[in-house]
Amino acid sequence: MASRREFLITGASALAFSGAIFHATQGWWSNVRQYAGVGLSRPLDGPLTPPRDAALDPVAHALNRFTFGPGPGDHARVTAMGVDAFLAEQLAPEKIDDSLCDRATARFAECWWEQLGEAYEEDAETLSPILRRAALLRAVYSQRQLFEVMCEFWSDHFNIDPGKGDARYTKIYDDQHVIRQHALGNFHDMLHASALSPAMLWYLDGRANVKRSATEKPNENYARELMELHTLGVHGGYTQADVMEVARCLTGWTILAKKNDGFSGNYLSPIKDRGKVVFRKEAHDDGPKKVLGQEIPAGLGEKDLDRVVGIVAAHPSTARFIATKLCIRFLSDDPPAAAVETVADAFTTSGGDVKTTLRALFSSPEFRGSEGAKFKRPFHFVVSALRATNAETDADRGIISYLERMGHVPFRYPTPDGYPARAQHWHATLLWRWKFALALANNRINGTHIERKNLSAILGGDAALMATTLNRQPNAEESDAFLKSGDGLALALASPAFQSC
Amino acid sequence: MSATVNVSSHRDDRRTLVVVFLRGAADGLTLVAPIADDNYHKFRPRLAVKKEDAVLLDDVFGLHPNLSALRPAWKEGDLAIIHGAGGESDTRSHFEAQDLMEHGGLAAGGWLGRFLRARGPAESPLSAVALAPTLPESLSGAPSAAALQSLEEFAIEDRRDGKAKPDFGRELQRLYSLEKGPLNAAANNTFEALRRMEAIDPKAAPANNAQYAANEPFALGLRQIAQLIRADVGLDAASIDLGGWDTHFTQQTVIEPLMLKLANGLAAFRQDLGSRMASTTVVVMTEFGRRVAENSAFGTDHGRGGAMFVMGGGVKGGRVHGGWTGLKPEMLEDPGDLPVWNNYRNILAPVLARHGADSASLPGIFPDFDVKPLELF
Repeated sequence: MASRREFLITGASALAFSGAIFHATQGWWSNVRQYAGVGLSRPLDGPLTPPRDAALDPVAHALNRFTFGPGPGDHARVTAMGVDAFLAEQLAPEKIDDSLCDRATARFAECWWEQLGEAYEEDAETLSPILRRAALLRAVYSQRQLFEVMCEFWSDHFNIDPGKGDARYTKIYDDQHVIRQHALGNFHDMLHASALSPAMLWYLDGRANVKRSATEKPNENYARELMELHTLGVHGGYTQADVMEVARCLTGWTILAKKNDGFSGNYLSPIKDRGKVVFRKEAHDDGPKKVLGQEIPAGLGEKDLDRVVGIVAAHPSTARFIATKLCIRFLSDDPPAAAVETVADAFTTSGGDVKTTLRALFSSPEFRGSEGAKFKRPFHFVVSALRATNAETDADRGIISYLERMGHVPFRYPTPDGYPARAQHWHATLLWRWKFALALANNRINGTHIERKNLSAILGGDAALMATTLNRQPNAEESDAFLKSGDGLALALASPAFQSC
Repeated sequence: MSATVNVSSHRDDRRTLVVVFLRGAADGLTLVAPIADDNYHKFRPRLAVKKEDAVLLDDVFGLHPNLSALRPAWKEGDLAIIHGAGGESDTRSHFEAQDLMEHGGLAAGGWLGRFLRARGPAESPLSAVALAPTLPESLSGAPSAAALQSLEEFAIEDRRDGKAKPDFGRELQRLYSLEKGPLNAAANNTFEALRRMEAIDPKAAPANNAQYAANEPFALGLRQIAQLIRADVGLDAASIDLGGWDTHFTQQTVIEPLMLKLANGLAAFRQDLGSRMASTTVVVMTEFGRRVAENSAFGTDHGRGGAMFVMGGGVKGGRVHGGWTGLKPEMLEDPGDLPVWNNYRNILAPVLARHGADSASLPGIFPDFDVKPLELF
């Protein structure tokens, strides 16, 4: 299997050829195109009626927020089924056929290892591109859009930059088994999985949190971020003493390392075991502890972690903190307190059920009325432009270099707070958005292609293309500007309206 | 109507940090030679810089003659040298050492990226640039960072492809002018920066009769950085590499032309900027120094301590900083290397402080390290 996997990763062009032979009966050219990163646009076979309203209507609003932006035909499809049914569909992603996205990411399928040690067989330099390409391809092509939007949300919430240590080998596993596993599941379960994620143990130094002698001090890094960033929030009511007690509870959890690093014991792990999370009883502080007012008796050993996760996940500050972040993501940069309260209540009463919490958010009165209030972050902007133009992309260097200039390459945020959510952080990216819009509209991005003329023709002319792109009818100023600019599509993508959702 | 333009705030407020990375481990003992140390000449019988050739700096050190273009900066107190500089890791792998140094330790993101993040949202689309094909790791995680091969890329339409679309820019500006609030201000900032970029004539002669080498990428890169600084486009940090310093064999034939590029480029840059140098700092760094003793192939092998340069306004220049203790064999680190007396973070920290990093942000920029800034300013 190893040789096949290497082949898959390193031999893209060779693979195109072998794929061509293998699928000869299905038309070798389409396969060559697929593996070269093209041939992936959605078939435009349904009704393609663009939005008719001058303002963002409820369907357009839902598409703006539940997805990374609508493509041609999405508005007509959701209008036909209704917003409620669309939300229900999106909250049950496992029932959505996603063959286009599966095809787009097929070349990476062998990287979603069950055995983490297999990651260590790879050249670390090849792993980060795989992770970000998969994220971009899924955001563009998946029909499970709300799921992908939430994966992005949680990837920021539990941010891990794989640039640190062995996180470069283990972040893919975290993406599969923490983020994607629980993105629409239960917060407590996601938190528990994250606490035992090898990439997180590396990134926030949990692996080095050991107590092997009376004088050894635990490493507090993860304990602090667990409360400050993952659960209660910075003013959520924990003290320095709580940080130290949580750190004590989590001593002893470490990962089997590539080389003896002094923390995983003197055990030099065979490659298949590398990255495996282990509890070292002899490095655990097994005395009694008190966390956020709750006693944890001595002698619980590895069960201390379950207790800590339970206490912080159920803390009222956590409900408020998560609700606030969700409202900033889905409502506005400074969401109304009433909305936060509604969402926090749903989070609490459902025991941290993400779907219930999102339902409460999207049915809140404040959700209606927040149309166009969010400034798209660069990743969202780029993906929405690709979706609006039904682009084919290989999600490789050509497109990543634009995200680099905008400071928003997936999985490359250095500090554990994740990419910022509010508009002010991203306003300096306008120039690169404009350049991207021109480059995309005129097919000047390596590995990305749009069928501009066909798209306009199929939608029924440039006016329909503009309305599809903006997700509403353009106003008089916009129509005039599109006409006079000499490049209406590029201007629509570069326009103020397209930067918001 | 006067636009709110952050990029045009008082010139003195905007300080620009330029980081020059000498990739391949530059030999600090050739750049800044301890010519008065007898052990130096014993260890380097064939490669030592001769006393009579050196540009004398003080009682101990002399610059290699190919660095003589740096003499004015030294004499005028604008250039500080730190010897025995490097990282804490004794890996002698180029890749690992560069990676550690650019990340600022075993940390995610780059030190320069974290510094820029700590300052808050970028104001300018050109807050950070690398004159390079790709961004260096040090800039990883910056709020906005562009790898540019040419300043001409900084235009709505790349000026090189000759497809200017004046109608497009005009209509774009019109639509943004109808916006209110921060988006309007951000667009104004961007259009103002673009206007200033357009005003740069790439073919104009550098200021103050500065002489950059023709057709030489390092000189060209420095020249473009100077153009950005002069144009007030909001440049906070720039990164540029000069590679090829891995001199295991016939060191002199390799290092001598490189030193000319380095010194002549920096001297031209300083000349070009003139009084703007007061708000500019140039840091020259390398991943590690080289073995004290020369090898049998007229070269030197991977060592530990090297030399760093800090040039710019306010620096305590005209001095070699850093507690030099000489090359007595017992003072060296196994297997015969100049020790690292000065961790690179302790050199970068005072530079970052001059560029606005407060002491509270330093632990975030250099995590897991007890920073003890050198008194360089």
